[in-house]
Amino acid sequence: MIKRDASMRPWWLPGGVVAFGLVLLYGAAQLGQSDNYSRIGPGLFVTVIGIALVGLGIALAVQIARGMSFAPSDSEGADTEGPTKLGPFLTAVAATAAPLVLMQPAGFPVTASVVFAGVARAFGSTQPFFDLAIGAVLGVLAWFFFAWLGVNLGPFFPLLKGF
Amino acid sequence: MSTFELLMQGFGVALQPINLLMAFIGSVLGTAIGVLPGIGPALTIALLMPVTTQLEPASAFIMFAGILYGAMYGGSTTSILLNTPGESGSMMTALEGNQMARRGRGAAALATAAIGSFIAGTIGTILLSFVAPSVSELAFIFGPQDYFALMILSFTTISVVLGNSRLRGMIAVTIGLGLGVIGIDAQTGQSRMTFGSLDLLDGIPFTIVLVSLFAVGEIMFVASRSLARTEGTNPLKGGIWMTREDWKRSWKPWLRGTALGFPIGVLPAGGSEIPTFLSYAVEKRLSKHPEEFGSGAIEGVAGPEAANNAAAAGILVPLLTLGLPTSATSAILLSAFQGYGLQPGPLLFVNNAQLVWGLIASLYIGNLMLIVLNLPLAGVWVRLLMIPRPQLYAGIMIFALVGVWGLSTSWFDLLLMFLMGLLGFVMRVYDFPTAPVLIGLILGPMAEQQLRRALAISQGDPSTLVATPISASLLAIAVLILVGPPLFRYLAGRGRPARGRSALATPDSNPAQ
Repeated sequence: MIKRDASMRPWWLPGGVVAFGLVLLYGAAQLGQSDNYSRIGPGLFVTVIGIALVGLGIALAVQIARGMSFAPSDSEGADTEGPTKLGPFLTAVAATAAPLVLMQPAGFPVTASVVFAGVARAFGSTQPFFDLAIGAVLGVLAWFFFAWLGVNLGPFFPLLKGF
Repeated sequence: MSTFELLMQGFGVALQPINLLMAFIGSVLGTAIGVLPGIGPALTIALLMPVTTQLEPASAFIMFAGILYGAMYGGSTTSILLNTPGESGSMMTALEGNQMARRGRGAAALATAAIGSFIAGTIGTILLSFVAPSVSELAFIFGPQDYFALMILSFTTISVVLGNSRLRGMIAVTIGLGLGVIGIDAQTGQSRMTFGSLDLLDGIPFTIVLVSLFAVGEIMFVASRSLARTEGTNPLKGGIWMTREDWKRSWKPWLRGTALGFPIGVLPAGGSEIPTFLSYAVEKRLSKHPEEFGSGAIEGVAGPEAANNAAAAGILVPLLTLGLPTSATSAILLSAFQGYGLQPGPLLFVNNAQLVWGLIASLYIGNLMLIVLNLPLAGVWVRLLMIPRPQLYAGIMIFALVGVWGLSTSWFDLLLMFLMGLLGFVMRVYDFPTAPVLIGLILGPMAEQQLRRALAISQGDPSTLVATPISASLLAIAVLILVGPPLFRYLAGRGRPARGRSALATPDSNPAQ
């Protein structure tokens, strides 16, 4: 196991847990903690969870301060010993974010094509046009198959409407 | 009506052509996803959720059950031939099974796995048929405080048992609980934690969290550390069938694996992994040839394979009778029930007898289909792995996109998918278990409802939560599970820091270290 020095300690991790807890506490403060009937209002459960998250976050910070290290979970085909490869990771992130900008203007098949090529690229594929084509075919097939099943995947190619 | 008659009625439902077709589709899909890496039964069912709007409940659940059982069969095939368990429940199978395949005994390993799965699945289903109705009778005497206590117990066992760290497991459950309170409060109609967003009024959809944590997070994680090398397949050669000696050495492990798997599957401590670890350990202890373990002992394949299939039947007991999910797969099944406006629990057996018994009957049929699909066709399934990894993961991503976009074609859902995917990535990098998030998300609102119901009945007196023997003992067990092991460790080892490792961690829960 690689020994990590103090600067590698992920303080932001307990920070995030505590922050989520505080958001819940903030939201809960605006809700009734009790009502006349059941003596327990919509806010109480939220408050309890908020307090629990803050407490658990602090406990995690204590563990990290004591020098606990994290071994990434074991995943198939993943080299868990090595560091994060930034390039492929960012490519995968970009591919999963692509639908946010593409889906509504360009429709499902185009988005699927781009996402497919992006993820394949993140996994080391070097044939972008081949991937775009397969993605497009998959996207079109999925659109028609699910339409046949009665599942709506949005307009097929909304760009056409402009013409 | 006796259980037997109800079961026969169930066969009447399960044998309708459409339902036979659904069982077949489910079995084929289940086997395929069991073989493929990066995609499990829970994820597959989540991706098929949009389809449920078009199917009768019975047909949909028959398909889902086929996926659940099929994944257990498919997982063993890749464990044995490739040393890559497609499912976490098949990790132990890979240990001995792959060694057998390397020694040219792959066919025998596949056979003992498939037959063991069939026997365990069938016995498990028989037990389910006869245990579930009596448990559901029992469930009628459960008051709201008993349900609440049961769910608290479920939260604690799940955070302790899944993953390597009790603290990180608890954080995962609590994050799920926190996500679960978002949306309209079912009791008062007030909106909670929506901060004025209309999209959040309906809450965070369970399917999106599951798909994002499991598929999107996994894709980001594996992409960021993917290996260049790929493992070669062990050719299927050698003794095509099991020898007399193999049968002699297999039948006891099959039965012992079933005996371990079913009860552990029933307990609210989740999943099919733990019984496989236990079964492996037991077989190693009892074997007449302990020296063969590690180099291809058939008992080490037969036992764990039986255990994981029996557990798959076991997890249906708390799900159908109490509405209590104990694994990610049963959580998504519960979500599907809720999608149909059905609440699993004792009333389901009364009001929807056709559905429940049709589902149970289909498990017998599915098992039969699966052994036919798997025993002679194992070599065909392995071909699925010839899809190059970049295109395989890209394809999984497309299906994740269908699952999310198909729910309600909402931009906000895509944003959730992205954010939850990042969360799933971080959780994998820092070794947080993801399944407890899902359990927290789906059980949290139910626990809150029971808590408020109990307090309403008692007019706000909190002592009602421990007023019944059932609730008091369930909560006591929960406390014991939470504080017992660290306390014991402290007393035994005075002052040595605990390092957050769970004392209940299973022997192989930490393979990376």
